Amino acid sequence: MSFTIEERGRPNTQDYRVFFKNADGKYISPFHDVPIYANEADNIFHAIVEVPRWTNAKMEIATKDPLNPLKQDVKKGNLRYVANVFPHKGYIWNYGAIPQTWEDPGHKDSDTGCCGDNDPIDICDIGNKVCSRGEVIKVKVLGTLALIDEGETDWKVIVINTEDPEAGDFNNIDDVKRLKPGYLEATVDWFRRYKVPDGKPENQFAFNGDFKDREFAIQTVKSTHEFWKALISKKSSAGELNCMNTSVSDSPFCCSAADAEAVVKSACAFGTEEPIPNSVDKWFYYEK
Amino acid sequence: MRSQLFRSSFGCLLTVFGPFPASCINKAVRQTAAAVPHSYYPRKTMHYQTEQRGHPNSPDYRIYFKTSDGKYISPFHDIPLTAESEQNDNVPAKKPKSENKVLYNMVVEVPRWSNAKMEIATKEPLNPIKQDVKKGKLRYVANIFPHKGYIWNYGALPQTWEDPNHKDKETNCCGDNDPIDVCDIGAQVCSPGQVIQVKVLGILAMIDEGEMDWKVIAINANDKDAEKLNCIEDVRKSRPGHLEATVEWFRKYKVPDGKPENQFGFNGEFKDEDFAVEIIKSTHEHWRALVQKQTNAGGIECKNMSCCNSPFQFSADEARAVVQSDHIKFRLSWTCDLKLGLSCREKSKQSKENKSLTLQGKHHSVHDAESFMRS
Repeated sequence: MSFTIEERGRPNTQDYRVFFKNADGKYISPFHDVPIYANEADNIFHAIVEVPRWTNAKMEIATKDPLNPLKQDVKKGNLRYVANVFPHKGYIWNYGAIPQTWEDPGHKDSDTGCCGDNDPIDICDIGNKVCSRGEVIKVKVLGTLALIDEGETDWKVIVINTEDPEAGDFNNIDDVKRLKPGYLEATVDWFRRYKVPDGKPENQFAFNGDFKDREFAIQTVKSTHEFWKALISKKSSAGELNCMNTSVSDSPFCCSAADAEAVVKSACAFGTEEPIPNSVDKWFYYEK
Repeated sequence: MRSQLFRSSFGCLLTVFGPFPASCINKAVRQTAAAVPHSYYPRKTMHYQTEQRGHPNSPDYRIYFKTSDGKYISPFHDIPLTAESEQNDNVPAKKPKSENKVLYNMVVEVPRWSNAKMEIATKEPLNPIKQDVKKGKLRYVANIFPHKGYIWNYGALPQTWEDPNHKDKETNCCGDNDPIDVCDIGAQVCSPGQVIQVKVLGILAMIDEGEMDWKVIAINANDKDAEKLNCIEDVRKSRPGHLEATVEWFRKYKVPDGKPENQFGFNGEFKDEDFAVEIIKSTHEHWRALVQKQTNAGGIECKNMSCCNSPFQFSADEARAVVQSDHIKFRLSWTCDLKLGLSCREKSKQSKENKSLTLQGKHHSVHDAESFMRS
């Protein structure tokens, strides 16, 4: 199963979009049409890379737009770039989401005490390769962190790209502690502080910021898959979410390839990148 | 698809070459030396241009330097050490500390957060910047977790030389045969070949593979914090963790290549700006002796345009001949200058390997480099 992207608009502008296509060249939604599993029996999941490691542009699956392309988040009218919180540069893993999952805002999580953040579940890929924006990778789930981001449940599933040469050595969260010492601590530190330069408070965590193991993480992912199934079958209210899809045949939101194509064709033509503002290079220092 | 990522300053750096009309051949986008902050006495800032040859991330890549009137120069020998001085024979006069603090020119070799080990080629005529090669391979510095590449803009002070015939009293080590190194802690990510003015704040006595290898800590005079940073203690307060990270980085950066951890003089403590200035002065004197042939050059290429008493001085024509005899074909180098009407996409198609020289980590593919460019 392979996927390709089609870029529209100009990178680093508000028009920029990354649309997705399946192996037949038909437009699809990365939220709804990329299967959650690459291999269900082995619990190998697909993940959509939104933000390559070491970059700053806050790219996200546009859950409220038809076909849910990637676009850059906008806050207060400005394109959003995540700050560099010393010693980190941008994101410290490839960051993205597992397709066909949804953290239901109507559901209060019993572990965090908070409702879902209305998005697919987030992943941090700790593999060595710096992936590209929109890349669809296969991942092994290793564990999860229970972030409470601005009062909403926001699981961060720790995964490794199955194509990583060391992937065979990583089977659970303790392997990460052993083989990449400091990485998990840096991950907690990053999520705790990454919004402080924007004037937000430090984030909180459930379980004291401890990582839960692989089994727990897989159960969490599966439960968000169940929430998504309810969403796509209209059993749960979509609210502002756009559930247009081309592959979930029994979904009331399923549409034709032609409908999907019409969405993409209406987007801006692809063009040259805008330069990233120099302010994005700033390194924020503060004592922990 | 890329390149706008690397900052408008980088966009100023690049030069367009290729099978174009003669009027375009020597078109070099001007890069201006950083403006001097208003609180200092007005100084004449020199403007330098660069001219690229070959492809970035390849062994043939070179960045040559020129004055604003198009004369080729050596960044090692012909750029004055201090920003106030146009003649490199002048040693800067002592100024009161509270005002008009001396600013030094810094030749940026490696932008912050990049990996390609770019260096002034001390053994090549005109000393262009090139990528270091070790054991036949282009050298990229490893990413030492949690760091990504270099954690400052890294480069050299011109007209300085750590003399390998000279043994340092404190460390008992001899110089590493290179200009003295500088780490610029300013916020701006600079470009290779960029010449900035810096304020010296302190110095670290690193011993790299047994050789004396001082690391001057400085800040781009254009940085908004430059005025309030005057000593190493100020750095410690305004950038907590960065000095500690600097020592750790230098201690460990060659370990992934199989080398041992580096050592330091003074227990790895940073010495203050006065001490730093003394070290810089002594490396400046060693350099002067070098270009005046008073000391063994040991392979260093001393050709220069501007050092009056130097037996190595040569003419503008000879300098031009050096650059033009560089048999590397002119290649269309990627540029961010939208005025030239070339899209970044066109350029990235032209040469797959023509990637940002600032990007590639040791283990990353060209594809990865491209993805890093998107931010």
